[in-house]
Amino acid sequence: MRHIALIAINFVREQRWPILVLMSWVGLLAIMGLFINLRTARDDVLFIFKQLGVYGIAFAVFFGASAIHNDRKTRRILAVLSKSVGRRQYISGLLAGILIATGMYSFAMGVTGTWVLRGSHFSASHIWLLMACLVLACLLAATVSVLFSTFMNPLFATLGTAVLLGVPALAGRQLGSWWAHAIPAYSLLELLLETAVGETLRFPWGLAALAAGETILFWLFAAWIFERRDIAVAVD
Amino acid sequence: MPPVLEFEDISKEYNRFMGSRRVVALEHFSLEVQAGEIFGFLGPNGAGKTTAIHLAMGFMRSTRGRGRMLGKTFGDARARSRVGFLAENVALYHRPAEQLVRFYGALNNLKGKLLKSRAREVLEAVGLDQEARRNVAKFSRGMQQRVGLAQALVNDPELLILDEPTSALDPVARVKIRSLLLSVRDAGKTVFLSSHLLSEVELVCDRVAMLNKGRLVKLGKTSELLQSGQEMEIVARGIRAASFPGASAADGAVRFAVPVSQQKSALERVWDLGGEVVSVNPVRHSLEQIFLQVTGQQPEQSALGDGG
Repeated sequence: MRHIALIAINFVREQRWPILVLMSWVGLLAIMGLFINLRTARDDVLFIFKQLGVYGIAFAVFFGASAIHNDRKTRRILAVLSKSVGRRQYISGLLAGILIATGMYSFAMGVTGTWVLRGSHFSASHIWLLMACLVLACLLAATVSVLFSTFMNPLFATLGTAVLLGVPALAGRQLGSWWAHAIPAYSLLELLLETAVGETLRFPWGLAALAAGETILFWLFAAWIFERRDIAVAVD
Repeated sequence: MPPVLEFEDISKEYNRFMGSRRVVALEHFSLEVQAGEIFGFLGPNGAGKTTAIHLAMGFMRSTRGRGRMLGKTFGDARARSRVGFLAENVALYHRPAEQLVRFYGALNNLKGKLLKSRAREVLEAVGLDQEARRNVAKFSRGMQQRVGLAQALVNDPELLILDEPTSALDPVARVKIRSLLLSVRDAGKTVFLSSHLLSEVELVCDRVAMLNKGRLVKLGKTSELLQSGQEMEIVARGIRAASFPGASAADGAVRFAVPVSQQKSALERVWDLGGEVVSVNPVRHSLEQIFLQVTGQQPEQSALGDGG
């Protein structure tokens, strides 16, 4: 566990600038909250709040798709994996780092959302349930992108992730919601995107369990592939 | 005593261009490195040195054959906790040197006061104790290489694997690292040193292996390799250089080499000519000469450089 924590913290440290950019959008929402009249601009604020959720997922995918590639390209991975660190631990460390980054982002979003949307019949518990769904969706999306990044460059890993997460969502619209739940990253995000004032959200335990289970499966599959890859050859 | 590092008939092939072309990096490579020695690993660019090291560290998987490091199969994370590794063209995260060395030490299961004291000790050993708080991003390449060496030493490894550890160092730092390697050996540890600085290897290595085109072409004790055993060098005074084919004259002495079988007759000839024999010694070759000979390269073609 210590190795995973060390790699995770190192990842967050290395990605501090993208994380700060991500956080600055939440900061902008907070600044908006200082100056707007919620009665007239409530829908606009809610729209931006939902948009921030999409950014969270997008960043999780980018983090996941580029994490291994960056370490391999700079050859920094050699010093890390020359220590008593297994490949699975390394992958787990990266995912834990992404979880910390997206967790921090979702927490900041939750705090800001609770404050900005206060008095608009949008309960704090509702917001925090949505944030829990967002974290799960981010983690699932990041795990899928890490899986693709074990054998693809970041561009193709991102595209692969978009296809794998997007196809069930599209199928869900055409063939019924069951299909959308096959890989439920979009279904979880959709709860945030479709949320409305005055609505009461019940936590989607089934979707959450499915997302958690699939995250574990994709993580194990990513580790299995990565354990069989030659990491010291050119990455481009 | 079992070997510390053992390659058993290992071959490694790469696929290039979507698998259309296969590149053989190592072919039926076998080697044993014993505990307590400094082992030199030599070869021209593309010979397969770095591939062999990366296989041992578990960064790659062999196409055929197998190997063991500290009694464990290549790639075993527990074995790596007893190994120190410095990669060629060292690449490190950008943070203060001491913090960085502690990060790598922690990845090798060190913690608390021991980790802190080891980090300081190794930075002092590589001459960077005064720079411990400076970010390595601001270091010169030579200083970064020394931090790389410090992170390799932080866990007090039983086996130190170094891929071109002195390539970016100035002569003073090189001498310091050389004595550091000797002290590591004296403490009973093993050093596996890949280097293109043949003079360095000649000075510190107990045994050397030479690799060419993925194959082991020479292996032996450094002292035995340097001493040919086939020829004797005779230094004499009071004779003319022209008396012996290939002889050279300097400072009043004539120097020439003869096959061992002709040593007696050559000495008698010196005396017959009224000369005085100053010394008779086995001819010593430099590692460079041996290297060029076994790799079949001419001096101007020789490219003992990075990669491999």
